[in-house]
Amino acid sequence: MNTSALPDRPVTILIAALGGEGGGVLADWIIAAAASQDYPVQSTSIPGVAQRTGATTYYVELYPAHIAELGDRRPVMALTPAPSYVDVMISSELLEAGRAMLNGFVTPERTTLIASTHRIYTVAERMHMGDGRFDSERILKAAQTMAKRAILFDMQDLAERSGTVISAVLFGALAGSGVLPLPRAACEEAIRKGVQGAAASLKGFELGYSYASGEAKQATPEELKRWRAAPSERVRKIFPAEAHPILEEGVARLADFQDRDYASLYLDRLEPIAKLDREQGGGASGYKLTCETGRFLALWMSYEDLIRVADLKSRRSRFERVRAEVEAKPHEPVHIIEYLKPGVEEAAAVLPPFLSKRLLAWTGKRGLTYKLNVGIYVKSTGVIGFLMLRTLAALRPLRRMSARYVEEQALIERWLRTVSDTAGRDLSLALEIGLCARIIKGYGETHRRGKASFLRILDTLVDGSTLDDRARTAAISKARDAALADPEGRGLENSLATHGIAALPPQPKPIRFMRRPPPDRRAA
Amino acid sequence: MERSFEAEVELLKLGRGQAFHGEGILAVTKALLQSGVSYVGGYQGAPVSHIMDVLSDAREIMDELGIHIETNASEAGAAAMLGASINYPMRGAVVWKSTVGTNVASDALSNLASAGVKGGALIVIGEDYGEGASAIQERSHAFAMKSQLWMLDPRPNLPTIVHMVEKGFELSEASNTPVFLALRIRACHLHGSFEAKDNRSPLISRRHLLQNPDFDFGRVCLPPSTYAQEKHKTEVRWPAAVKFIREHGLNEFFAGAGTQPSDDVGIICQGGLYNATIRALQQLGLSDSFGATKIPIYCLNVTYPLVPEEVMQFCAGKRALLIIEEGQPAYIEDAVLAMLRRQEVIGAKVHGKDVLPSAGEYTNEVVLTGVARFVETSAPRGLDTAYIPKVHQRLAAAKSAAAELLGAPIPPRQPGFCVGCPERPVFSAMKLVERETGAFHISADIGCHTFSALAPFNIGNTVLGYGLGLASNSAVDSMFGRRTVTIMGDGGFWHNGLTSGVANAVFNKNDGILLIMKNGYTSATGTQNIPSSPHQTEYKSRDMGIEKTLAGLGVKWMKTVHNYRVSDMAKTLKEAMTSSFQGLKVIIAEGECQLERQRRIRPQNAERLGRGQRVVRERFGVDDDTCSGDHSCIRLSGCPSLTVKPSTDPLKLDPVAHVNNGCVGCGLCGEVAHAAILCPSFYRAEIVQNPGAWDRFLHLVRQTLIGWLQPQERKAA
Repeated sequence: MNTSALPDRPVTILIAALGGEGGGVLADWIIAAAASQDYPVQSTSIPGVAQRTGATTYYVELYPAHIAELGDRRPVMALTPAPSYVDVMISSELLEAGRAMLNGFVTPERTTLIASTHRIYTVAERMHMGDGRFDSERILKAAQTMAKRAILFDMQDLAERSGTVISAVLFGALAGSGVLPLPRAACEEAIRKGVQGAAASLKGFELGYSYASGEAKQATPEELKRWRAAPSERVRKIFPAEAHPILEEGVARLADFQDRDYASLYLDRLEPIAKLDREQGGGASGYKLTCETGRFLALWMSYEDLIRVADLKSRRSRFERVRAEVEAKPHEPVHIIEYLKPGVEEAAAVLPPFLSKRLLAWTGKRGLTYKLNVGIYVKSTGVIGFLMLRTLAALRPLRRMSARYVEEQALIERWLRTVSDTAGRDLSLALEIGLCARIIKGYGETHRRGKASFLRILDTLVDGSTLDDRARTAAISKARDAALADPEGRGLENSLATHGIAALPPQPKPIRFMRRPPPDRRAA
Repeated sequence: MERSFEAEVELLKLGRGQAFHGEGILAVTKALLQSGVSYVGGYQGAPVSHIMDVLSDAREIMDELGIHIETNASEAGAAAMLGASINYPMRGAVVWKSTVGTNVASDALSNLASAGVKGGALIVIGEDYGEGASAIQERSHAFAMKSQLWMLDPRPNLPTIVHMVEKGFELSEASNTPVFLALRIRACHLHGSFEAKDNRSPLISRRHLLQNPDFDFGRVCLPPSTYAQEKHKTEVRWPAAVKFIREHGLNEFFAGAGTQPSDDVGIICQGGLYNATIRALQQLGLSDSFGATKIPIYCLNVTYPLVPEEVMQFCAGKRALLIIEEGQPAYIEDAVLAMLRRQEVIGAKVHGKDVLPSAGEYTNEVVLTGVARFVETSAPRGLDTAYIPKVHQRLAAAKSAAAELLGAPIPPRQPGFCVGCPERPVFSAMKLVERETGAFHISADIGCHTFSALAPFNIGNTVLGYGLGLASNSAVDSMFGRRTVTIMGDGGFWHNGLTSGVANAVFNKNDGILLIMKNGYTSATGTQNIPSSPHQTEYKSRDMGIEKTLAGLGVKWMKTVHNYRVSDMAKTLKEAMTSSFQGLKVIIAEGECQLERQRRIRPQNAERLGRGQRVVRERFGVDDDTCSGDHSCIRLSGCPSLTVKPSTDPLKLDPVAHVNNGCVGCGLCGEVAHAAILCPSFYRAEIVQNPGAWDRFLHLVRQTLIGWLQPQERKAA
C-alpha cells in the first residue's frame, strides 16, 4: 500500500498537570477514546515523586489513520514532546501554561493551547512577605500570541461546580476544541467505562465541552472587595474625587475601630497632604499621594490590638463568613475555635504607658517578655468564649489611654511629617515614603521586624541620607521591596549598603547554645 | 497498601491471542508469567514499584501457578533471592529502581554472576534517569560490564519489551548468566498494547516441589572455584551469549524500505532511544512516520555484550557513524571505536558525544539537535539536508519569543509534602528550635522527608543513601560542640538503618539524636507496607514494632511524639539536645501517612454520612479581617492547602493567607501559629454533619444568646 495517502505525522498532545489532579486519568481517557476509533495511540508519563504536588507532564501521540488501513505497519511514536512539534498543549493551571510556552511547546504554526486560568500558587509565590504572585495577565497575553488558538477559562471553578476534578473539564474542553479526530460520543463512552465518579465526570465534561466550543461563556469574576457604603460629607467636600472611595472606607473603618473623633482625626491628618498634592499638580497622577497615604494611614490607625481582634472575631458578619467559607449547610451547626496566644507584649499594649513600661522592664530583666505567652483555644461560638471576647472588645473606650495607642500615634505623626515635608517639593518621593507603611504588618516578632525595617529606612534614606531626591526616591522603593522580599531583614541591609550605608549587625537572637556534656563523660 | 490493583490483576489473566492494553511495567509483569517464572521478588521504587504491587494483589494467580512472591527487605535481599536459580533450573525475576537499587544489590549480584545460573535469572531495573528521576544520575551499564551480566535495553514499544523479557530468560539459560532488563522511566509508564499469550506454570514451583538439594562446589564462591568461574565467564558464557544474540536477532537493522537510504553513513542507537531517533529523522525529513529511514540504523536491544560481527557488518563501507548513547561514560562508543581499531577499519569517523551532550536525558529535542549536527558535518551522499537549518531556527525562536513575552522566569514547582502530611510539622518544629538554638547539622535520608531540603524549610545538610542517614552522621556528630540530628524514615529504618545505623550507633556509643519518621509505609514509592505498618495482609506478620526493635538493640533514650503537636516536638528536640544522657537519643515522630489515612477514612465517613450518622468535619481557616498578609505562617508550613488569595479588604493591597478546600484538618497551621506565636487569625471550624437533636438544641440556644449580645454592624456593601 502507498504511504503518501497517509498522514505524514501523528497528532501530539502534551498535558501539564500538578500531582493528584488526575492528569493520568485524562491521558487514559484519550487513549480509550482513540482506541475505540481504531487509531494507533500511545501515552507516557513521568509521575515518580513529582506526583507529590509537583509539576508533571503526560505525553500522548495519536496517529490519525485507522489501524485497519495500515496493514501490518505501525507508526513509531515518540516518548517525549519536541519543541514546536506539539499540536495540543493542555495545562491544568495557568502558570504551567507559561512554563510550557517557555519550553517551546506552544507555537503559532501548530499549537492549540487549552489551559485553565485559575492559579495554584507555588511555594515561592506564597512565601513572599508582600505580594510574590506571578503576573497572570502576562501569561494570558503571551498565550494569545504564542498559540495558534488559545482556549482559556477557569476550569477549576467548573470542576467544583460539577463536583468532579479538573481532568474531566479539561477532557471536555479538548473534545469541544475539535482538534482531535475523536467524536464526542466516543469521549463520553471512555468516561463511562472509567472506574468511579462517571456521572460527575460527565457533568464536568459537558461544561468543558460547551465552554470550549463557544456555546457557553464565563463571566470574568470581579475582585470581591467588601466596601463599606458610608458617604462622608467632609471627604466629598475637601478631597479629590479619586480619593473618595479609599478615604470614605478609611473614615468608616476608624469610626468602627474607635469613634467619630478618631475618624475625623484621620481626615485632619490627611488634609495638609491632600492640599500639597493639589498644589504640586498631583492631579496628573490621579492624586496617588493622597490615595495611598490615605490607605496606609487608615490601616495603621486601625492597628490590631487585643481589643480589636476580640471585637472582629465576635461579630455576626464574621460568623456568617466562616460558615460560607467552610461550606456548611444551613442546618449544620458550626463551632469556631480560635487559636490565640496572647503574652506580655499584648497585655502591655493595652495597659497605660507607665504600667506598661514597668511590666516590660520587669519581664525584660528576666528575659520573659516573649516567653510567657499562653496558648488558649477560645470557642467563640460558645457562650463563655463569646463573652470573653466581648468583654475584651468592651475595653475600646479606654484604648486611647493604652501604651500601644500612644506609641503608634507618635510613629504615625513622624511618618506623616516626613511625607508632607517632602510633598512640598517632590510628590513621587513623598509617595515612596508614604508607601513604606506597607512594611509594618503582622503580629509579634513579624511586626517587630517590620517596624524595625520601616524605621531603618526612615532613619537612613529619609532623614539621614545625603542623596538627591531623585536617587532617594529610587533607593527607598528598592529598599522597601528588599524589606518585603526578605523578612529576616538582611535583604534590606544589603540594599542600603549599595548607598554606602553601613549594614547593621544581624539581629541578635536569644540563642541558647546547647553544648553537649564533655566527652570524657561519654564512657559512663 | 490501601490501594487495590484489581483492574491490573485482570490484565494478568489474559490468555492466548487476547489484546493487552496497559502500561509497560504491567506488560513486563504479564511477560514474566508467560515465561513461566517460579519466583518473583524485589524492592519498591519508582518507576517499577507496580510489578510488586500488582503481583502482591494477584495472590489467586500466584497460588494457581505456584509462584513464590516476596517483597524483599532490600534490593540486596532481592538479588540474593536469585541464588535459587544457581543450583536449580527454575526461572526467577527480581525488580528494583536503578542505579541506587543496583548499588545496594551489587554484593549479591557479583556472587550470583560469578557462580552462574542454571535457571533463567532476570533483573528488571527501572533506569531512574532524566526528567522525573528522583535519585543520583548514573548508568547501570557499568554493573553489567564489571560482573559480566547481560544488559537488555529494548525498543520502547510493548511487543518488543515483552519479546525481550521472554528472550531474556532464554539468553540467561543459554549463557548461564543473569540478565538485566533496563527500562527507562517513560518506557515503564508507556501505555500501549500487545497480543497476550497464556501464562505458563513453572516446572518447579510451590505446587511441584524440589526433592533433592544439589551440591556443586563449582558453584560456591570460594577459591579455587572463583578462579574457574572467572575463566568460565570469559571463555564459555560470553561467547555463548554473543552467539545467542546473533542467532535470535535480538539486535535490529533498519534501512528505509521504499526509500533510497544513504549507504555511507549510519546510526547506532540504544534500543530505548530508537523512537527518539526516528522522530528526530522524521523532523529532519529523513524518515516517515513508520520508521522508513534514509539513514540506516543498527538498534541495540542488547547493549551488553556487543556483537562484534554485527557491528563490523554495519560499519562496512561507511564514512561516518553516529552513536546515540544516553548518559556517561560512553561505554558503547568507546567499545565500537576499539573494535574498529582492532579490525584496522580506518575509513569510518565515529561521532557521538562530540555532537550529543555527555550528560542528561536524551529527549527528542536533544537527539534532534545531535542528529542534525551529525548530518550537517557528515553530509550523507544523496540526501537533501536543506531542511535542517530551518528546524534549528524553529526550536530557538519558540523559546525566545515566549521568554520575551513572559518577561520573568517561571517560578519552579518542585514536589513537596502532601496536604496534611505528618512529616511537615516535624520540620516546622525544627525551624522553631533553630530560631532559639541557631542552625544545627542535620543528616537527612531518602524518603518523602528529603523534601525538607526544599523551600520553605531548607533543612538537611547531606543525603547519603536509603537508611544511611545515621551512618552518615557518625563522624559529623563527634566533630560538633553540640549535638547533631539525623532524620530517618521507617522505610529506611527497615531497609538498612536498623543495622548500619542504629545498631552501629549504639555499639559505638554515638551521642547523636535520631529522629524516625514513623508514618507506617514507604510512602515515597507508593505507600507499600513495611514490617511496622499499622495494617497487614494475612500474608504478613503483624507484631513487628520499631519501639520493640530499638529496645532490643539497647536504645535507652527513646521518646515517641505525636507529629502534629509542634510545641511538644520542639520541646523534645531541645530536651534531646541538652540531655546529660550519653548515647543515642531516638525520637519517634508518629503520624500516619495522610495519603493512606485519607484513602481509609474518606470512604468510611462517606458511608456514615450516607447512613445519616453524625459526622464532625474539621477544617481550618484564616480570618480575612485580622490577617495582615505577611505570610509568616506559610514560611513555617508550606502546606499546599495553606495558600494566598486577594484580600477582601479594599484597603489591603497584599494577598492574605487562605486555607482552601483541600484542607484535611490536620491542624498544623493552627499549631504553628501557636508554637511560633504568629497571629490570632487561625481558627478551627467543626462542622456537625447530620446533627442530632441535642446538637440542634444547643446550637439554637447559643445562637439566640449570642445574637442578643452581638452589636449591630453597618452592613458591608
